[in-house]
Amino acid sequence: KRLYSLKVAPKVAASAKVERVKLSPEAQDLEITKLPNGLVIASLENFSPASRIGVFIKAGSRYETTSNLGTAHLLRLASNLTTKGASSFKITRGIEAVGGSLSVYSTREKMTYSVECLRDYVDTVMEYLLNVTTAPEFRPWEVTDLQPQLKVDKAIAFQNPQVGVLENLHAAAYKNALSNPLYCPDYKIGKITSEQLHHFVQNNFTSARMALVGIGVKHSDLKQVAEQFLNIRSGAGSSGAKAIYRGGEIREQNADSLVHAAIVAEGAAVGSAEANAFSVLQHVLGAGPLIKRGSNVTSKLSQGIAKATTQPFDASAFNVNYSDSGLFGVYTISQAPNAAEVIKAALNQIKAVAQGTITDADVTKAKNQLKATYLMSVETAEGLLNEIGSESLVSGTHTSPSDVAQKIDSVATIDVVNAAKKFVSGKKSMAASGDLGNTPFLDEL
Amino acid sequence: SGGGRLLESIRKWYYNAAGFNKLGLMRDDVLYEDDDVKEALKRLPEPLYNERIFRMKRALDLSLKHQILPKEQWVKYEEDKRYLEPYLKEVVRERLEREAWNKK
Repeated sequence: KRLYSLKVAPKVAASAKVERVKLSPEAQDLEITKLPNGLVIASLENFSPASRIGVFIKAGSRYETTSNLGTAHLLRLASNLTTKGASSFKITRGIEAVGGSLSVYSTREKMTYSVECLRDYVDTVMEYLLNVTTAPEFRPWEVTDLQPQLKVDKAIAFQNPQVGVLENLHAAAYKNALSNPLYCPDYKIGKITSEQLHHFVQNNFTSARMALVGIGVKHSDLKQVAEQFLNIRSGAGSSGAKAIYRGGEIREQNADSLVHAAIVAEGAAVGSAEANAFSVLQHVLGAGPLIKRGSNVTSKLSQGIAKATTQPFDASAFNVNYSDSGLFGVYTISQAPNAAEVIKAALNQIKAVAQGTITDADVTKAKNQLKATYLMSVETAEGLLNEIGSESLVSGTHTSPSDVAQKIDSVATIDVVNAAKKFVSGKKSMAASGDLGNTPFLDEL
Repeated sequence: SGGGRLLESIRKWYYNAAGFNKLGLMRDDVLYEDDDVKEALKRLPEPLYNERIFRMKRALDLSLKHQILPKEQWVKYEEDKRYLEPYLKEVVRERLEREAWNKK
C-alpha cells in the first residue's frame, strides 16, 4: 500500500508576481484643498523635471474704480520691484541664477504670478514669488521710474488693432467693472502713486481671493508654504461691483484701410449652463483657422461672407466668459469699402443658426473642435497651470479633462440654437476701428 | 564706546567748532556729494528736499554777505537731524549687494 502524504506538496505558485521595476513613480492625481481662510491650494505631482507654481488672485482691472484706473496695469509691471525680503536687484539676479523665470499675466478678472524652474530650486523661487505677491514695498522712487514703462507697454500692445477694438468693446458694453481698460489710460500715466498700489494690493490680495497652484510639486509642501506665508491678509477684501451690461457703440476713425469690427451681445458667465452652448456655437460659426495660413473654408461665417464679397476678409465668432457675465458675437476684419457687406453677412449667418438651419453633423463637428482645442490647451504645463488656477479661483474645484469633454458632449443642438437666439434678440454692443466711412452703425444692422 | 559723556561733549565741541551750524546748515546738508549721496538725494521725499534747498540758499546768501545768523538761530547739536541717513544707508546696502553678486 502506498502511503500518500496527507498533505500534497504545495505547488509552487507559477510565476510569482514579478516585482515590476518602476522607472518613474506614477503620476498622481490632482489634489486640491481649501484652507479655512479661503485660500485654495491645488497641486499636480507629475514628477516632471521642471516645476511651475502660480499664485492666482482675483485682482484684475475690473476691481479698479474711476479714481485709480491703470493701477492693475502698473501692478503688472511692478512685479520685480523691491519687496520686504529682497531688493529688486536680488529678485532679478536670484531667479536668473537658478535658471527660473517669473512672469505676470493679468486679465480683467484675475492676476497670475507664475514662476517656473527646475525641481531642485523650487524653494528659492518660491521665496521670491511669495515676496512679490505678499510683501511688495512699492518704494516711491521705484514706482516713479516705472511709469514710462506703461507707455512702452501700451505702445507695443496697441500695435495690434484688435487690442484697441476689444478695449473699446468692453467700454461700450459695460457700465462699470468690466468696462475698465486693461491698459492704463493716457491721462493716468505718470500719476499713479505708491499709495494707490498699496491700497489696491491691501484690498484685493487677500487669502480668500487667492489660489496657489503647483505642477510638479508635492501637495504637502505647498500647503505648508501657504499656511505659513500666505496667511497675512485674511478676509474677502473689497468685493467688486457686479458688471452691468448696457450695450453701446464706440467707433474709432483712423487711417487704417482694414476695418476691425466687433459686434456682441451679452453671453454666458463662466460655469453657467449656457457657457458650453455658447462655446459650441462659437465653433459652429468658426473660431479661427484650424490650418495655419489656411483659408478657413469650413467656418460658416467664412462661407456666408464669401458669398457677399470677393475681397479678402476674416471673421470669427467671439466669445468671452467672465465670472458674472460674458460677451458673444462676431469679430470681422474687412477692407474699408465693403465693411458693411461683411458685417451684415456675418450677422445673417448667426440669424440662420438661430432659425435652426444647422444640422446635428455641424454641431458634432463643432463639439469635436471645441474638445480638441480645450484638450490641446491643457497639454502644456503653462496651459494646465492656467486652467487649474482659473477654476480653483472661481469655484475651488477642479474638473478633469474627461469631465469637461463629457459636458461639452451633453450640449444639444437645441441649446446651440437657443444661444444663437439669445444673441439675435439681445441688446448689441459694437466697437469698430479703421476707415469707417462704409461701416454701419448699430441701429442700421 | 567707553566714556560716553566725555565722547558726547567732544562731539558737541567739534560740531560747534566746525561752524556750519552758524550758517543754519545741518550736517547732512554739507555731506560731500559722491554717487551714493546723489542717489540718496534722488530718493528724498519732496518736503525734506525743499527744506534742504532752502537752508542751502540761506547759507549761500549769508556767505555772500560775509555774515552769520544771530546766535538764537544757530542749529543746535541736539536738534541736528540726520535726515538723509536712512536713505543713504539703503543706497550703500544696495551697492554692496550688487558688488557682492558681481564678484561671484
